[in-house]
Amino acid sequence: MRIIDVHTHPVFMRRGLQRTEIDWLVAHGRALGIERMVTLGDVLLHGRFPTGEQISAINDVTAQVQSWYPDYFVSFCFLNPTLGERHVMSEVERCVTKYGFKGLKLEICNNASDACMKPVMEAARRWNLVVLQHSWSMTNIKQRSFHTDPADTALLARRHPDVKIIMAHLTGCGVRGVLEAKGLPNLYIDTSGGLPDEGLIEYAVEHLGVDHVLYGSDLPGRAATVAIQRVVGARLTPAERKKILYDNSARLLQLN
Amino acid sequence: MLCDVNAFLGSWPFSIVPEYSAPQLADYLAQSGIRRAVVSHLGAVFQPDPMLANRKLLAAVRRTPALAPLPIVNPLLANWREQLTELGANAAVRAVRILPNYHNYALKSRRLDPFMDALAEAKLKLVLTARLEDERHRYFALRVKGVPCKAIAAFLARFPDHHILCTGVPLFDIQNLAEKHANFSSDLSYAENITMMEMLRDKIAPSRLMFGTFAPLVSARAQAAKLTQSPLTAQERKLIYAENARRFFSL
Repeated sequence: MRIIDVHTHPVFMRRGLQRTEIDWLVAHGRALGIERMVTLGDVLLHGRFPTGEQISAINDVTAQVQSWYPDYFVSFCFLNPTLGERHVMSEVERCVTKYGFKGLKLEICNNASDACMKPVMEAARRWNLVVLQHSWSMTNIKQRSFHTDPADTALLARRHPDVKIIMAHLTGCGVRGVLEAKGLPNLYIDTSGGLPDEGLIEYAVEHLGVDHVLYGSDLPGRAATVAIQRVVGARLTPAERKKILYDNSARLLQLN
Repeated sequence: MLCDVNAFLGSWPFSIVPEYSAPQLADYLAQSGIRRAVVSHLGAVFQPDPMLANRKLLAAVRRTPALAPLPIVNPLLANWREQLTELGANAAVRAVRILPNYHNYALKSRRLDPFMDALAEAKLKLVLTARLEDERHRYFALRVKGVPCKAIAAFLARFPDHHILCTGVPLFDIQNLAEKHANFSSDLSYAENITMMEMLRDKIAPSRLMFGTFAPLVSARAQAAKLTQSPLTAQERKLIYAENARRFFSL
């Protein structure tokens, strides 16, 4: 079984960033069949509004992790879009040209439908980067002014049809999130987040098509063992399972 | 072999998972290596009299030896003694589950004093369920909050002679409660982290942890992997997989 984990945060392990922690994580991942991990950075280290310096420091740590295992980790550049176009463009350029980052990671600095996302998407377009947007149902969490609902991620995808976007956290987005994402060819969803609810992966495959569902764990807060077996145990064909666990992410991130 | 202490029959009104019969649930669990399960009926969560669903549960599991019944009791209903008497008369019932926040009472209620005494008299164990789902993304009109860690702590301190199994408790709450309350045991259905066992090992003895799933609403296979693919000692495996559950529920 070959696996690419498209949603990991391997920098806030139990004892903090240490080479031994990353050594352990890579060995753990390889033992489970995980051939590559997308590392998204320690995105909540400085709270909801990291400064430009803090953003750069987080991305430098991501690059450090990648440098230890360059054939294992695929890094995404964490951004705070509210810092403005100049910062966004310079940080993306720095992370792409200096470190070879493959994507952009958006968390809860702002809502994905906000105007400040325009330069982010322009940077993604210019550098041919995939955008991974944290998404969670805001029906019960009353934070939509800065926290992205799946409907907002879908709107982002409609506004920028030439940028490939991953809606994070299938579990947090739920059935409504899947339906929001339906019919958008540039939008993908990762399987991470929350308890491994039964039936939701099958529902996403039915409505989005198997090519739009990507395996993700959100480790270390969640366990890769649990996230993988959720996919393995889903009522899917072996070919569908292979696509979700590996092929779709390999193609999206051009990893072969 | 795994024994699941947190499985359910019946349907959850806001889930896309279909309702399973008792044999179907047993088969579903067995596919993930879960050979025994302690089961409650979800009808008892919402119906005004939980005994209607409890009777369905008892009838449903009678011919399915892999499943043991865990009826749900509402100690604030006027007939709670009748509930306990009826359930206690069934030899298969070794414990009852309470759902304070779904049944609209606080754990600090004084009305729980005689209830706990009656449980002891009937030699029934207590399972306290802190939550049945992730409050962050559930059906919008259901506004039941999880039982707070502080309330569970006060309850455990108030009834030190009762060893209570708590289900649906997050990892950090398990750590906190275990340190201060020797009469606390927990299932692992709501706990997860890449180093979960390492984080628990320092705080709670394996004799106080049990395997639980929330199945079939949550993937039993995924929940089982939490333990089967963790580096457990032989003793931890024996106790947490099934032995603690066997002892607690006299299975």
